[in-house]
Amino acid sequence: MNFTFRRKRISGILVVMPANERCFDEEMKNFNFPPARSLKLKEVMGFDKRRIVTPGVCVSDLSVFGLQKLFERGWLRREDIDALLLVTQTPDHFMPATSCLVHGRLGLKHDVLCLDINQGCAGFVIGLMQAFMLLEQEAVKKAVLINADVLSRKASPKDRNIYPLIGDAASITVLERDTQDSVIYGNVKADGSRAEALIIPAGALRLPSTPETAVLEDVGDRNLRAKDHVFMDGSAIFNFVQTEIPPLIESLLKQAGVSVDSVDYFLCHQPNRFMLEKLADKMKVPYAKMPNNVVEHFGNNGSVTIPTLIAFNLGERLLKESLHVCLAGFGGGLAWSSLLLKLGNMEFNSIVEYK
Amino acid sequence: MDKVEFCQKLAEILDIEEVKLEDVLNEFEQWDSLAVLSALAMADAKYGVTIRADEIRSVVTAGDLANLVEEKQKQLALKP
Amino acid sequence: MKTIFKNRKISSIVTVVPKEEFRFDDEYPAFKLTEGKAKRFKKMMSLDRHRIAPPDVCSSDLCLFGLQQLLDEGVLKKEEIGALVFVSQTPDYFMPPTSNVIHGRLGLGQDVICFDINQGCTGFLLGLVQSFLLLEISALPKVVLLCGDTCSKQMDRCNRVSYPLTGDAGSATVVERCEIENPIYAAMKNDGSRHKAIYVPAGAYRTPATPETLEVREAEEGVPQSLQHIHMDGPAIFNFTMEDVPPQVEEILSFSGDTRDSIDCFLFHQPNPFILTQMAGKMRIPQAKLPNNIVSIFGNCSCATIPLNIAFNFAEQLQQGSRRVCFSGFGVGLTWITMVLDLGPLAVCSVVDY
Repeated sequence: MNFTFRRKRISGILVVMPANERCFDEEMKNFNFPPARSLKLKEVMGFDKRRIVTPGVCVSDLSVFGLQKLFERGWLRREDIDALLLVTQTPDHFMPATSCLVHGRLGLKHDVLCLDINQGCAGFVIGLMQAFMLLEQEAVKKAVLINADVLSRKASPKDRNIYPLIGDAASITVLERDTQDSVIYGNVKADGSRAEALIIPAGALRLPSTPETAVLEDVGDRNLRAKDHVFMDGSAIFNFVQTEIPPLIESLLKQAGVSVDSVDYFLCHQPNRFMLEKLADKMKVPYAKMPNNVVEHFGNNGSVTIPTLIAFNLGERLLKESLHVCLAGFGGGLAWSSLLLKLGNMEFNSIVEYK
Repeated sequence: MDKVEFCQKLAEILDIEEVKLEDVLNEFEQWDSLAVLSALAMADAKYGVTIRADEIRSVVTAGDLANLVEEKQKQLALKP
Repeated sequence: MKTIFKNRKISSIVTVVPKEEFRFDDEYPAFKLTEGKAKRFKKMMSLDRHRIAPPDVCSSDLCLFGLQQLLDEGVLKKEEIGALVFVSQTPDYFMPPTSNVIHGRLGLGQDVICFDINQGCTGFLLGLVQSFLLLEISALPKVVLLCGDTCSKQMDRCNRVSYPLTGDAGSATVVERCEIENPIYAAMKNDGSRHKAIYVPAGAYRTPATPETLEVREAEEGVPQSLQHIHMDGPAIFNFTMEDVPPQVEEILSFSGDTRDSIDCFLFHQPNPFILTQMAGKMRIPQAKLPNNIVSIFGNCSCATIPLNIAFNFAEQLQQGSRRVCFSGFGVGLTWITMVLDLGPLAVCSVVDY
């Protein structure tokens, strides 16, 4: 499904990164694999350091912290927030929505539209699309998009495929109307028949959590995982990325009538180093144009990888310059989505630490 | 405020013969969450005042409740 | 947020209720109520019966069944579905989104946007707002809004303050563009500072599920609950419905240029008949214009209550013609949303048993 938006811009990005850092070399002692094999995995996947929350820290905590920083620094006024979108797969509660909790903790005005959307790694791009849709309404002049997850809490320490990969973080993106007549091109796709490639089997209503669902099971590949833990079918996801993302981006560029060369950067979700390198190869995009360094520094923090990528690599530049970028998010659902837009002249674009 | 009438209304809510101002509400078997809701509704519909959730929890006797309602009525009358 | 949507319409609604019905008269001994108290409770809350889903049936099953009805009736084709908006507080999984699971079960094509939105009592109206917004995308033919909840699974069956008033249901609503302007006036408000009026303390990420959070304790006599159950502060909810909702209804009527006379029916969320009667009285809305029977027959079905209200009470009228309606949803969040629009004629408007 293709779409376009006009006269919308991202005016700032703030990433809230837990200060708590873990190191792959330390953690690999827990795995049922010989150290040499684990080190090979580290090299290929780009594992090194990751940031995860300390026990008891939730999505609303990271979100409130980030928004308060924006208020303190004068980058956002609380009374200017017309819509609060929160994209998460790890909400504080089943009810109420976490956006309502954030609303309450910050004492925002009653007229704010609060919306929680459940989306995974495609969540930044889909969240932007949602914000653009809301900005079409006259009543919404400024929209705040929060992407946040604390998925480390659902990773089995004995699952080598997932545990060293997952990071936690939140990002706050402020969006508003643009005086310039800029066009944003986008597309989005879904395939629920492959929904089980990235799933937490127990915990919600299909299979509620019990002492049984917490039991670690040998899943046949020397990893141990419970039904309460997140499961990722690595090969299915790899095939998905290789098969679906290149045509998605190709179709987007065609829609916009531009070539790969006209795009300054391809800012893609960061599943792991290996997958992204292979994607760059397939799309014939030079590695320099497709930054691939989030996992090694922060871990794969779900829908926050793209804002992390932007703030970490282009923090200073995007305050003064304007770049032509292609964003691509893809993951759980399965869902995949891309956007082509001008990004730049931002009021803020940085990372703060959450202690 | 006619406190006799107020007590009569409370008695209706509790489905009993009589309520006296000095009666401790919690000691009535019928003073349950249903009765609380009916009391809030009565305060609103018959006396035009809103009683907050924390306020109703802090009243002890029927008299306390009557005083609370009366006080709120006075405050409303003072508003411009 | 206050806004007007134009060139949008609801074209069909199917609501789905579990076929097994449970009667208050059979259930009340489990609530530790004497016959006298039970009679009083039943009368005050106008309780009679409710529909409860079997253990293996989730909100998605009920909603999908409704969607299948729309496809079978021929009022919707699979290729016309451009977006699936699933609104619920009782999703199948934390991940993946339930709308994607439904997408897979239906075997839909890839050009579909799937959204899961977490919302309860105002879910249908928030879902409509989302559907109206999505139709800005010109390539998107129709949106299917799926609202459903199985809140009975989030309470103890012996809890007298919540269980007898609760029901499970799902719904599938088709939302599309229309040629005529058909303005839809909408106002939305939130106040998260009062969220503890209705919430589930444990089970998600703030307080993960453990054997302790599963433990059932009696909060007061006849009110067993665990931390994974819905906790409701009755007085706080009452204050909210009486203080915050009426002004929003006034605001919307003023916004749309309507009066109580020009509105044919007020289709409100139904927390329970007692509160709704009080609200109708306060807002000077004649009882005849404010249907108040859903809890007595089906239970409070959370986000599916408003579609059930529409389909149960106005199926015939809305299939034959149009009515000027005022929707109002209020609850979890706390969130409250009110809308005024012309509803109908609908191609399909029904209640079916699952």
